[in-house]
Amino acid sequence: MSVSEKKLWTAWSRFLTGLVGAILIGFLVPILVVVAVSFQSKSYLSFPPTDFSLRWYQQFIGNDDYRSAILNSMMIGASAAALATIAGISTALAVVRARAPGSAIVSTLSIAPAVLPQIVLAIGLFPISVWLGLQGTLWAVILAHAVIGLPFPFITVCGALTSYSNRIEIASMTLGANAFQTFRLITFPMIRPAVIAGFIFAFAASLDELVLALFLSSPSTRTLPLLLWEQLNFQVTPEIAAAASVILAVTSLLILAATLLPRLDKDN
Amino acid sequence: MKHRSFLLYLPVALLLTPFFLAPMAVIGTESFSGQHGVGAEYVKVVTDQGIRTVLYNTFYVAAMVTILSLLIGYPIAYVLARLKGRWATIGIFLIFLPFWASTVIRSFAWMILLGRKGPVNSILLGIGLIEDPIRFIDNGLGLMIAMTYIMVPFIVVPILNGLRAIDPNLPRAAAVLGANPWRQFLAVTLPLSMPNIAVGCTIVFVTSLGFFVTPSLLGGDLTVVSMLISEQANRLLDWPLASALAIIVLLLTIVIFALLRLSQLASRRRDKARSGVFA
Repeated sequence: MSVSEKKLWTAWSRFLTGLVGAILIGFLVPILVVVAVSFQSKSYLSFPPTDFSLRWYQQFIGNDDYRSAILNSMMIGASAAALATIAGISTALAVVRARAPGSAIVSTLSIAPAVLPQIVLAIGLFPISVWLGLQGTLWAVILAHAVIGLPFPFITVCGALTSYSNRIEIASMTLGANAFQTFRLITFPMIRPAVIAGFIFAFAASLDELVLALFLSSPSTRTLPLLLWEQLNFQVTPEIAAAASVILAVTSLLILAATLLPRLDKDN
Repeated sequence: MKHRSFLLYLPVALLLTPFFLAPMAVIGTESFSGQHGVGAEYVKVVTDQGIRTVLYNTFYVAAMVTILSLLIGYPIAYVLARLKGRWATIGIFLIFLPFWASTVIRSFAWMILLGRKGPVNSILLGIGLIEDPIRFIDNGLGLMIAMTYIMVPFIVVPILNGLRAIDPNLPRAAAVLGANPWRQFLAVTLPLSMPNIAVGCTIVFVTSLGFFVTPSLLGGDLTVVSMLISEQANRLLDWPLASALAIIVLLLTIVIFALLRLSQLASRRRDKARSGVFA
């Protein structure tokens, strides 16, 4: 390679790295704009904001709709993630460890909800939820969200189980532990970081989901994304930006927990 | 022991049978139960000009978003793959940060940014690049920008994994054989990352086909298939037609993933045949 060619390549490399750096920082701009807009006092969205006020945060805190929507979303998210995690762990054990028959089909079905458009599931679930008398209850949304959350703990736990040899579990069985004791004392501590990560991903998937909630909930079981969506379709005010900023802050804390908790867990 | 391993399937069977498999069966039967005769809904989907436009829009938007995501995502993955240590962690953290904000909020952010008097238009007007504000929200442009923004992380991750798995000795060998860096990239790195490009593009395309929130908020007059299904079911109460459309989306998803799987199997067989020659 000639000297000038090398120089040209180094220059191009630097340019590309700089460009990608700029794009990655640019990716934060839309989110920062939402936060910036939430601190203005005007009742319509203007950017850049010309003044500072906490007016919309006060209104957000006093708004009962948001309070009940946040509560609903938390209850639905936690229950759905718990159900998804239990099903995910048990299926991963069947597929990876017990090599139960039909594992290829079960794996495909357990991952399928992650790629299936949610509107398809929503159309099919609505009549079933009516038949079962679940329509309009929290359970309708919880069970639907458990289905779309399932792929995450299933994938993370499968990954954790394949990362170490099953000889440890066989040794435990040989030493007289039964299947349940082996799971509690050996397997679970080994896969705990994956379980926590899977639970958090499933929880986040539920917090973000709108279409199933749109079809399956009633005004009293309205979730947070659904409320935001209704407000956006009705009238766009900075209050939505304030609500979005609070949600962003809370999710950031959740991610921080998701990345730090498994690491702390490993150190202990 | 063998028969007991089935018990581990119990939770997933209890979850998926009534709330995943049964819904699919319900849509299937519902789509054939219209008043106009068996299969009439499917005939309508194929022949109705309005529905055909919606399907065309959906494909067009999904294809454009896939191309844009690849064009933006590949350089990001390429640069991230060559970073080491702390910078690599920071890069991955940055790409995932917006990913965690909910889709509704990210779409809302683009509603602000791309509005007629929004910051993008004021900047473009300010530097004199345009004379009149661009109407991003009416023509599908804003929709594609927002969807690309949402989909880029989905394409970066598989491509990044692929690039990291490439043996660094291969581009080096090409260099020894006299290839300049551009040749090394075009003849070695890019072909080796093709399988991961295929995976990333498939995920982005299929996810884009099913988008609902962003098109509803930013699509303007443009309707995509998810919006049409929701409208048929919720407002017009035409469940057979909504179900037929849902079945078509479901089949498309299955066919696209099956094609990806087949191409993966074919390339694996080809690699095996090739390594057999040298063995």
